[in-house]
Amino acid sequence: MAEGGGEILEGFLCPICKVDLGTAVQLHAHFQEHTEDQDVLKSLKDLLGKAKKKILKLDEEIFSTECEEQARASSASHLMSSYNPVNFEPQEIGATRNYTSSFRALRNSRMERYAAETNKLLIRLDKLLVDLPTDPVKRKAYEQAVVPWIDDRDVKLCPTCAKHFHVARRKHHCRLCGAIMCHDCTQFLPLSLAKKMTNPAFGHQESGSTRISIAASFSPGAVSLPTPNLGLLRRSNSSTSLNSVLSLVDTITGEQHFRLCIHCKQLLDTHEKLKESRTLKPIISQFYERLRSYQMEADQLAVMYNNMCQSLNCGESTYNLMNAQVVRVKLLKLAESIDSLSNKIAILGTKDVENPPRGKSLQLQHMIRTAATSYLREQLVALPTLPTEAQLKALQNQRRQEVSARIQQEKQLAALEAHQAEMQRKRDSPQRKDIHRSSSPGQHKSADQVMSDTGWGPEAAQMFDSEDPMIQQMNIIRNYIKQARAAHKYDEVATLEQNLKELKEEYWRQQQVCDEP
Amino acid sequence: MNVVAAVKMYVTRMAEDSGPGMKVLLMDKQTTSIVSMVYGQSEILQKEVYLFERIDSGGQHESMKHLKCITFLRPTKENVALLSRELRYPRYGVYYIYFSNIIAKADIKTLAESDEQEVVREVQEFYGDYLAVSPHLFSLNITACAQGLAWNHAHQQRSVQGITAVLLSLKKCPFIRYQNNSEMAKRLAEKIREVLSKEASLFEFRQTEVSPLLLILDRRDDPVTPLLNQWTYQAMVHELLTITNNRVSLSEVPGISKDLKEVVLSAEQDEFYANNLYSNFGEIGQTIKELMEEFQKKAKSHQKVESIADMKTFVETYPQFQKMSGTVSKHVTVVGELSSLVTRHHLLEVSELEQEIACQNEHSQQLQRIRKLIGNSKVRDNDAGRLVMLYALHYEKHTNNDIVGLVDALKQRGVPERFTKLIYSVMEYGGTHARQSDLFGTQDAVVKITKTFFKGLSGVENVYTQHNPLIKETLEELIKGKLKESSFPYLGNGQLARRPQDVIVFMVGGTTYEEALAVHQLNKNNFGVRIVLGGTTIHNSGSFFEEVQQAMQGVTRRHMRTRNS
Repeated sequence: MAEGGGEILEGFLCPICKVDLGTAVQLHAHFQEHTEDQDVLKSLKDLLGKAKKKILKLDEEIFSTECEEQARASSASHLMSSYNPVNFEPQEIGATRNYTSSFRALRNSRMERYAAETNKLLIRLDKLLVDLPTDPVKRKAYEQAVVPWIDDRDVKLCPTCAKHFHVARRKHHCRLCGAIMCHDCTQFLPLSLAKKMTNPAFGHQESGSTRISIAASFSPGAVSLPTPNLGLLRRSNSSTSLNSVLSLVDTITGEQHFRLCIHCKQLLDTHEKLKESRTLKPIISQFYERLRSYQMEADQLAVMYNNMCQSLNCGESTYNLMNAQVVRVKLLKLAESIDSLSNKIAILGTKDVENPPRGKSLQLQHMIRTAATSYLREQLVALPTLPTEAQLKALQNQRRQEVSARIQQEKQLAALEAHQAEMQRKRDSPQRKDIHRSSSPGQHKSADQVMSDTGWGPEAAQMFDSEDPMIQQMNIIRNYIKQARAAHKYDEVATLEQNLKELKEEYWRQQQVCDEP
Repeated sequence: MNVVAAVKMYVTRMAEDSGPGMKVLLMDKQTTSIVSMVYGQSEILQKEVYLFERIDSGGQHESMKHLKCITFLRPTKENVALLSRELRYPRYGVYYIYFSNIIAKADIKTLAESDEQEVVREVQEFYGDYLAVSPHLFSLNITACAQGLAWNHAHQQRSVQGITAVLLSLKKCPFIRYQNNSEMAKRLAEKIREVLSKEASLFEFRQTEVSPLLLILDRRDDPVTPLLNQWTYQAMVHELLTITNNRVSLSEVPGISKDLKEVVLSAEQDEFYANNLYSNFGEIGQTIKELMEEFQKKAKSHQKVESIADMKTFVETYPQFQKMSGTVSKHVTVVGELSSLVTRHHLLEVSELEQEIACQNEHSQQLQRIRKLIGNSKVRDNDAGRLVMLYALHYEKHTNNDIVGLVDALKQRGVPERFTKLIYSVMEYGGTHARQSDLFGTQDAVVKITKTFFKGLSGVENVYTQHNPLIKETLEELIKGKLKESSFPYLGNGQLARRPQDVIVFMVGGTTYEEALAVHQLNKNNFGVRIVLGGTTIHNSGSFFEEVQQAMQGVTRRHMRTRNS
């Protein structure tokens, strides 16, 4: 019993059922019964279990009459039981088969090719960028040192457009794979973007906190020649000849981009897009995340509040009214923010004249709003009401009376049954016991559970000393409760109060028992 | 052994496995129905699933990368092709893919190769491949599973998949028994066994004390049940208004309000329905009245909303209030429509006679009453025809039967020829030659006597619910361990040594809600026995006629000759 909050039992305890027998002689006799007949233990447990069960049942009835919420829940469960056949026991999820790893393996073997190539390009890009000379001649030599260029003589036609090279259509080299193409088929990668690709941190600095798509980051300033097609940077045909002449000048003035072949550019683009989509977070997602965090908070609070409210409405003194009211106000505030936020999501972008949300995205926004309102309706608007100060007092009084009356009744019942059990034992008819056992398997079970949960079992020492350990224990717990309440740890308060309550009841019972004989 | 819970758990797992975030559920036609049977919209919204999309919708390409896509599809060729296209040009950020049944390795490969953008996070098989109607009832929504009295190949395949999915989702690896005289039942049993042995590793479940049992029956053994008018709520609604995937269309009811054109009858979400699924019509009327009164009482008390406190209480009870008003108006409308149909078509009278033909042997008296009802213009053609069908099935071998005379009477009444022909089709489909069980209790004198004796003991409380479907008797024998092996042999060598506890019954050719009720009662009355009933579909008389018509297509009548035509 060391785990039961440091509760230590003293007295002549039976090692099997932890019952205090008061005197050594009694304990001896009791223990002999154990060894003689294990059933005694069971019948004893039974007895306690029955008593406990009755109390629980009574509790339930009180709850159902007093708390509307509770009543609805219990009626619902009753209802489902009439619809579900009794013998549909709890069920685990059915069989599943997971193909994810084999799927990944298949995908990887295919993706590896792309990945390896992309990585190679990125590594080269990185090398090129490390200390790229600004002087064009040196730069060219450096580029060639990093990526070996294909010999000009090997290529007669542009591999992309299949046109002949001549004075006006000069050969160019891809800076990443060394392949040859004509100027028209050349793709350009601005240095700034290249830096962003190889070093994500740089990209973040460049684009700031608002994410900009790749196309937007091709700022005209970064490219030495303004081009009409930003995405592809392909130059218009009319200026081709001029461009080819200018390209020399271009090199001299210091090129702020890399020439790439279509193939390399595509690989890099796909890679970038993927990266982008992973980090992309539109405004609706940000709103939504906030909404969810509110809901989560509200969920937790609501559970706590319901517990508090139920307890208060049943006249228990576990929580105090003030605390419950604070929680209630918090919950209502959360509900308000959930409402306004979900409304914001619902009308998000609808004021945008040019590009209002349509189709699926609009539907999504509406659905989120619907979900939020139905959440509010089910979870928060239907919060049970708290009793007023006066009501609470009345409830508590009523409760106290009920509890004492019940305990009195239970005690009588228990005594009666104990008497009967005694008689039975004396008769010592095994057949009778069998019936007894088979008739109440459920009770056995519940009795066991209850015992392990709440420490109902031990019958603590009856002490004639005023320094009763139970009283001490109770005082300690009261102290704890005070502290926990101060620290707003209501969950702990609840469990502690539960302990205290049980201790009290137990103590009270003890007193009665020792008064009687 | 709760099929609704089984499918629901799968769907819940799907929604939860993908973690927090906005989600879209991408499904095909069938999985859409499967999910909608177990999950209400508001319920699934709380799982963060906000959009629902059909993979075959071919809608516009609207990219929403911030959404997670949960894909729940049947593993068909078309779906795999559509999905691989979707993966090539993904509209959503990440994909969690679930197939409702066993998928071929080759298909996994196709998908893996389509996933060039590496958007797929999970690929799994979740065996929710059937429509869970009630905890103990599933359907595969196959109308007309037979053609020419043999399996339509596609439907056979679907049935095998459906049943194996049921077994997997309930984690059962059963012994199989089938109805001996049915070729279709036998074939289905064999095909299922093939899957069981082929996917043996999948079916390795924790051994229970008594192995589960799969019993495959054929509708042809009991053509009577789907022909009867029903008086328990669910069955009655299906017979008179037709339930499709838990939905009832009321659009033909005159003067119906717009939001009641189609009502959802789901025991999962509708308390009233869950409570009264199996109540008979009279009880329903009573309950509805009580519900109305309760509602009125509440509505009235809310009418005097004067103080702020009053308003507050009103708002605070608002969800229940609204819920309740929804339930009330829905069921009032449905029950009202049922009752108007009953009076308009003299269904009480018709049903009483139906029940008597099905349960009692009073040939000449019943013949007279049928003639009388055929002459009554208020009785629908359909009902008159059904009476003749029941008569023909019962008195097929009776020496003085007057089937031809009754059919002539129908013709005189102006019943379309299609329907009179159907009478002979039904007899060919489920006549004595096609049955192995003693459907009308005529052959065995001793059985008959004990039956009437017991009937006398219990007393016939309700003339409209005398009939007990054949399946009840079959299952009772099964539970007692007395089901004859000659009639319902085991497939293969294994045999159940003890009385079965977990039983899955599948009715080839469709089951009925009356049978579902019988199974429900068996579950309730036999502690420790759990029975799940399934069928290719759930019939009412209309769908049964279609089933028979399809089944008899191209079959030459051997057993029944129409003398006059």
